[in-house]
Order: sequence, then C-alpha cells, then structure tokens
Amino acid sequence: MTLDSARFSRRGFLGLGVAAGVITLTACGSGAGASDAPLVMTVWGGDPDRKTYQARIDLLVKKHPDLKVKLQLIPGDAYPQKVQTMIAGGTGPDIMQVAESVNTYSSKGQLLPLDDLAKQAKLDPEQRFGPAGSLYTYQDKLYAIPDRSGAVTVFYNKDMFDKKGIKAPTADWTWDDALDAFKELTVPGKVWGYSGAEWFPQWWSLAYQNGGTIIDAQGRPAVDSDEVVEALQWAGDLVFKHKVVPSKADYADMGPDIGGDQAFPNQKVATHANGFWVMSGLTKVKFGWDIAPMWRGKKQAVSAFGSGLAISRTSKQRDNAFKAIDFLTSAEAQKVIIASGQDVPADLEVQKSQAFLKPSWMKTDVDMGVFAESSAFVFRAPFIPEWNQMIDTISNGLADFWLGKERSAKKALTAVQKDLESLIKSGA
Amino acid sequence: MATSTAPKAVPTAAETPPSPRKPKLSKRRRREALSFYLFISPWVIGFLVFLLGPMIASVYYSLTDWDSFNPPKWVGFQNYVTALTDDPVFWKALGNTFYYAAISVPLGLVLGLWLANLLNKQVRARKLFRTLIYLPTLIPLVATAMIFRMVLAPNGPINDFLGLFGLSGPNWLLDGPWVKPALILMSAWGAGAATVLLLAAMKGIPRELYEAAEVDGASATRQFWSITLPHLTPIIFFNLIMGLINAFQIFSQVYILIPKGKNPAGYDAAQTMVPLLFDQAFSYYRMGYASAISWLLFLVILVFTVIAFRTTRRWVFYETEVK
Repeated sequence: MTLDSARFSRRGFLGLGVAAGVITLTACGSGAGASDAPLVMTVWGGDPDRKTYQARIDLLVKKHPDLKVKLQLIPGDAYPQKVQTMIAGGTGPDIMQVAESVNTYSSKGQLLPLDDLAKQAKLDPEQRFGPAGSLYTYQDKLYAIPDRSGAVTVFYNKDMFDKKGIKAPTADWTWDDALDAFKELTVPGKVWGYSGAEWFPQWWSLAYQNGGTIIDAQGRPAVDSDEVVEALQWAGDLVFKHKVVPSKADYADMGPDIGGDQAFPNQKVATHANGFWVMSGLTKVKFGWDIAPMWRGKKQAVSAFGSGLAISRTSKQRDNAFKAIDFLTSAEAQKVIIASGQDVPADLEVQKSQAFLKPSWMKTDVDMGVFAESSAFVFRAPFIPEWNQMIDTISNGLADFWLGKERSAKKALTAVQKDLESLIKSGA
Repeated sequence: MATSTAPKAVPTAAETPPSPRKPKLSKRRRREALSFYLFISPWVIGFLVFLLGPMIASVYYSLTDWDSFNPPKWVGFQNYVTALTDDPVFWKALGNTFYYAAISVPLGLVLGLWLANLLNKQVRARKLFRTLIYLPTLIPLVATAMIFRMVLAPNGPINDFLGLFGLSGPNWLLDGPWVKPALILMSAWGAGAATVLLLAAMKGIPRELYEAAEVDGASATRQFWSITLPHLTPIIFFNLIMGLINAFQIFSQVYILIPKGKNPAGYDAAQTMVPLLFDQAFSYYRMGYASAISWLLFLVILVFTVIAFRTTRRWVFYETEVK
C-alpha cells in the first residue's frame, strides 16, 4: 500500500479481511496432484504401528518397484479431524485406513467403490477374509478391503480359575455358566469376576447373541426390542445386582484411566473380554493367562475390531492404489502384522498359519486359534453414515444406566430408541 | 490499562473526519512510517490471513449446510434457527457454560483478592508462599486435569477429607450434578494468576495514603475497603473481562477431565459450548452448524463484555482520572 493512505480506515481494514476470507473460501475448493507423485497413505496409531505399516510398504515396493507410497501416521484421536482437513484442503490421501465410520465418508461421496477394481484384480473378499469380507459393504457397494480384524476374545486368569477349580471358558458357555463362574471368582472389594460389560462392542455382542440387532435389516434403529433389552439388563445386572463387574466408581478408585484392559493385568479382575491389544499389557505379567472364544447366548455372536483400506475418490492413481491395497492385504504382507505383534491380520489364511498361531514374541502358551475360530461368528455391526452420532446418543442415553441410577434397561433403551429415531430418519 | 478511554470516547474521536488531502510527509516521517508498517506487517498479515479471513469465511459457512467435503449448500438462517429452536443440546450447553462462568469467574476474583491480600502481609516465608500459589498456573493443563481426576476420585483425597467430618463425598466426575462443581474447583486452583497481578497492583498503591488513613484512625478493614480495593478495581476489571472470555470458551478442561468416550455421563452433564461446536464440526461433520454455534457464542461473549464495559464508570477507579 502507498504511504498516502497511511492512516487507512476501518472499512479498508475490514475489506482486507473480506479479501482474506474469500481467499480462505476458495482455497478450500482447489488442489491438484501430479500423477507420478507417491501414493499417500494415512493410517492411525503410534510408533509400533508406524513400524509395522512401513515394513509392509517396504515389502510392497520390493515386489512392485514402480509403486511409491508415502506413509502418514496420525495419532488415533486426531485422525478423523486430520483426514477431514486434508480432504477439505484438496490434498486428500490416496489410500486411507477406515473403520466404523467408513460410511460417514462413503455417504459424503469421499470413497471410491471398489467392486470393479476388485473384480479386475480377482480379489474375492469373502474368500480372503470370511464374514469380515463384507464388513465395509454399504448399499451393495464395497468401500474398503479388510486389513486388520480381530474378534473380541475372553482373557482369563488361569491361576485364579485353577485355584477355584473352574474349567476354562469355552464357546459353549451359556450366560448362566458365565455368571456362575464370575460369582465364584469374585472377592468383594478386591477381585471382580469379570470386566467388560459396558463398552458397546461388549454388550452389543450379548444383544446379537440374544437375537437382537441395533439397526434392523430395514436400516431402522431397533434397540428397544425385547432381545436387546434383555441382553443389556443382564450386562447391567453383572455390575449392580451381582456385583461381579467393577462399577465406574470402582474403576475410578483404581487410578486415573484404569479400565478392564489395565485391571486384568493387575489381577483386579479374573476375566476380561476385549480386543487383541490387551495382550500388549500381558507380556510381562507373572500369572498364567490364556484366551478363549466369547461364550454364547441363544446363538453365537461376537464383535470384532478392525480396519480396512479404502481409496479416496480424489485419488489420481486409482489403479496403483488398488494394486497396493491388494498386496497389503495378501497373506505375504499380512504376516508382518502378527510378526510384529501389532494386531490380528484380517486374512484368514494368515490367521490359521503357524506364523499366527505361534508368534515368536509370545513367551507363554496362548491359544491363538481362538481368533480364527471366532471369526466365523463375528456379527455385522451397523456401520451407518451417522455412526458417530449414534454412538454418542447410545452412550449418553445409557450414562445413567451404567452409573446404576437407572436400573431398568427397558426404560433406558426406550429413551435411546426415541433419540435414535429422530437421528436416523432415512431407512436404508 | 487501555480500557480507560472507552466509555467517554463516543462523541468526539470515533469517526475520522474526511480529511482534505494531507500535506506531503517529510522524508524522515516517511521513513518512520515505512518502518512502522514493515515491523507491524507480520502481525497484520497473520491477523488478516489466520483470524479475520477465516472469521469472515465462517460467517458465510454458518449460512450453509457444509460437511467440509462437498460444496456448501446455502440454507440462509436455518442453522441459527435450528440451534435456537430445535436443539435441546445447544441450550443445555449454553446453560452449562453460564453456570460455569457465573460461579468460576467471581470465585476466582474473590479468591485472588483474598490470597493477594494475605501475601501482602509481612509474614515469614511469604516469598515462598507467593511462589507456591503461582505454581499451579505453570503446570500444563493436561497434567492438572490428570491430577484432578485422581483427587476427585470417589475414594480420592477430597472425599477422604470430607469423610473426616462424617460427610460422604459424591462421585465428582461421574455423578451429573457434581461434574460442574468439579470443573469450578479446578478453575479455582488456577487463582494464582490473578493473585500475582493483584499483588503487583497492591504494591503500587502509595504508602502515604495508608499513613494518612492511620493518622485519621481508620481500621485495617476500613483501609482495605477504602484504599486498597478502589485502587485495585482496574486490575479486577481486567481479570473480570479476561475471566469471562476464558470461561465462556472453556474447552480443554472439559475435554480432558471428562472425556466423552470414557465418561459419557460426566460429559453429558457438563458439556459446554466449545466442546459442542467441536463435536459438531469434527465428529459429526456439520461444519456449517458449528460455525453458526460459534457465532452465537461470539454474540453471547460480546454482550457480556459490553455490559461489563458499560458498568465501569460506576465502579472502576483510575487514579489518573481524578487529578
């Protein structure tokens, strides 16, 4: 600006602001990428995850020297925001890790349907991954290839079970068998028989075992059905009626950020149901432990934790991106996931291989076959576009229930059902 | 304090008169002006590009339905109407924010004043006490929140202490009605920042005033109310404005002390405005709606700040004004 306008007015200043605003607005819409640039792959996690993903990418590049992949690791809780801003800024990734919120992206047109690419590459998800193969299919379109997928398993403290003369849990335990064992194992105020009732993957397993669903086949919420109510009531009673599961207050007294994953290695709970990652806290413990498949209700059903790899619609190199995903989810690259102890690979062949059943880092004898066994009865969780709102609605609606202030699962779920109905208006 | 001119400046200097073409500046003045613009430009550019620009952009976005991925769709005032008439969570969050601000800000001021007054006394080891009282403000918020999670645990130190008097303490961070008091308690822990400012201002009050008052036979209490407090009002005013703005924008404390994922009951009971708009923008992908909420919050803060400024004449005392 010239010096004559040295004392420039408020209006002029605001005008500059408007100009900057317009620049901000337009900057959000553009962005280009050269086609020989490396593929950008975003994943979440910490340093061990980075090493594992990088090792798999190194294998990929060795096999396909024409591919270049740049790995971008983002800490888990910032992942959605970071990817969101990358896409909004026009520099979205080519390959992105997705999980439960897959259809938040797909419903907003951010993911490429992969059916044709998979057909061309002769990749049959059902054959490679079992029931998990269709986990990321929404409205008949495949949006991600499963990459990591481990069922919830039951971790149990062998020493405590032996001391009480209780047989190891099996897939054929009924709810009554489980409750009897938990009562037996509980030492009031000191040791709880079980932990892992409250988190949604845990009590949803019970609901699906009981024949219920969270979202029904027509895409409508169905949490107030008798089956779901009965399952939640049973889970709630474990905490407040039978007192075989620590309550929130009990956990808070154990220390900040303590939940079942920490209480089990500390021998505060005898049994715990959760994902593969619990093992990382168990490598140095002094007591004997093992895993078992989740028990059963009217039928067998269990949640799984995992993630898939998807291609962003803005990707300029779709074929190369799929070639990379195809290799990363093949047995050869998936072996790295278990060899490093990161997670359960989704590939069924690997789950049954010796590399998975006897990983070199496992010091004790753990029945790793449980994962392959469980993957047969993993239920299909409702990955709806409104996933985040749904989870918040459910956890807010059940907050009082898990505090023991509202003891009736029926009442709590009726209220949640109403909220979910106003949230999910469109039936799929 | 720059705030002193605000109330009476209205009629005269507000509008720059349309000046006739100014005479040419001398070379020295030009050079001086040039370096002024040169040195201020990093701030001006930063402000325009990173603050004013996005602010104005967000006005536009608040009038659209925008998921941050697809082009925004113009919806007029729909987002504002929804927030004000059809979103119970918005009103709950606003209520929680008012609750927090209405108690934590006055509490912080009173506590700061009280501590500053104590530390101004000729007690032994008062330098040590000053350090100790300021220390909490130096601890990163995350660490503070972690400590408070332990302190406020159902069988934690606070409840143990209450137990000495036969009271059974609540589940602070889990039990609906107690979560906001817990947040306020944590804010009170940071009263040291205000204390230091007030203490510095106390040191600046001329001794002669107290000596004269003593000669006249004023008691210590009378001296406090008639000399100390009036001299501190500019600092109190500054702390009030800053405290109000910070209290309305409370975010990290909520986010860390009662994380949504791990403690939905606590979060539900104490969700404030900024966590609400964060959820809407980055968890539910409703960027337009979040922008509307942030502008409504801006208006709320503006109204309260203006009210505070309007009342200054009645209670804020500037020594320089009474000559």
